[in-house]
Amino acid sequence: MTAWQSWSVVLGLALGTFLIRYSFIGLFARREIPPWLEHGLRFMVPAIFAAIVASGVAMGSGHVAGPEQWPRYAAALVALAVALKTRGHMIWTVVLGMVALHALPWLARVFQSWL
Amino acid sequence: MSQTPIQAKPGFANQSDAARTAFWEGAREVLVVVPSYVPFAVVCGVASVNAGFSLSAALALPALVFGGSSQAVLAQFAQNAASLWVAVLSGLVVNLRMAIYGAAMAPRLRHLSVPRRMLAAAFLVDNSFAFVQKRALDRPRDAHLLSYYAGISVVLWPAWVGFCAVGVLAGNVVPASWQLDFAIPLSFIAMCAITVRTLPLLASALVGGAASMLLFDLPLKLGLIAACLIGMLAGLAAEKLQARARGRT
Repeated sequence: MTAWQSWSVVLGLALGTFLIRYSFIGLFARREIPPWLEHGLRFMVPAIFAAIVASGVAMGSGHVAGPEQWPRYAAALVALAVALKTRGHMIWTVVLGMVALHALPWLARVFQSWL
Repeated sequence: MSQTPIQAKPGFANQSDAARTAFWEGAREVLVVVPSYVPFAVVCGVASVNAGFSLSAALALPALVFGGSSQAVLAQFAQNAASLWVAVLSGLVVNLRMAIYGAAMAPRLRHLSVPRRMLAAAFLVDNSFAFVQKRALDRPRDAHLLSYYAGISVVLWPAWVGFCAVGVLAGNVVPASWQLDFAIPLSFIAMCAITVRTLPLLASALVGGAASMLLFDLPLKLGLIAACLIGMLAGLAAEKLQARARGRT
């Protein structure tokens, strides 16, 4: 890519992304959000958050993580339990989830060596 | 909330103090997700170099776009210079979800001047939006929500830009085996746990999550935004069903 090409691609994405971000902020700066949209928004937010979770946990490498990647699913379940228990405490959820991701396969190896 | 009885102008000193407190709370609370930025940002930086971006453009990309997934998609598609417009378009589709964040933020930004509203829009990303939503749920009618948002942005943006620059200049520095980027979905698990408060909301989350996996391979990276809309429809349908079931009993 030439310098001109790479800068036009970067500026294209940057400008477009700003317009996306500002679109509804600008549109609803002076007028009320129509009730049907506000109602729909309430359901879009958890859907996006869950989509980020699902694709991040199960699609980390671009395709569905198989059974050999069970620690990802187990760690996600640990994090979910912590999040429900602590009413969404960010630090505990992230830290214990990461600990589970690394500790569970280690524990499994230890158990396997005992058997 | 502390109340100081001796005060010449009631509320004024409290007001700015409270804003400052909210700002620092935002900056402090968001620190937990900053480590999760490192591997993804470094990968994005490396990818933009590999895609053949000039050094200045690769460094400007995270600063101007501030959206990791779209940067990764841009780099991935730009490797084939014949499809540069597809690269930009795919990156934009990935970022369409930010319009939804904008719609949710709009009422909170109404009292600002246009330049400030634009500034607030420029820093809207998954994590900052999620933290602001959480705060808004925890503390309804918080007068200093935007100070909190500013505190978050003042940490997230430099961190993102800096870590991407590390990837651009130094290459892969974080061992992949650490799987630090797994902290990103983990932080959104916490967000799901607090935003999902009713059965219809649970329906939209479950269906949205499942749809994002099934639609992962859609062209132009349309999967995420499609999953969001499908999840919303599921939530609305669940609400209808619930209302009908209640009407029957």
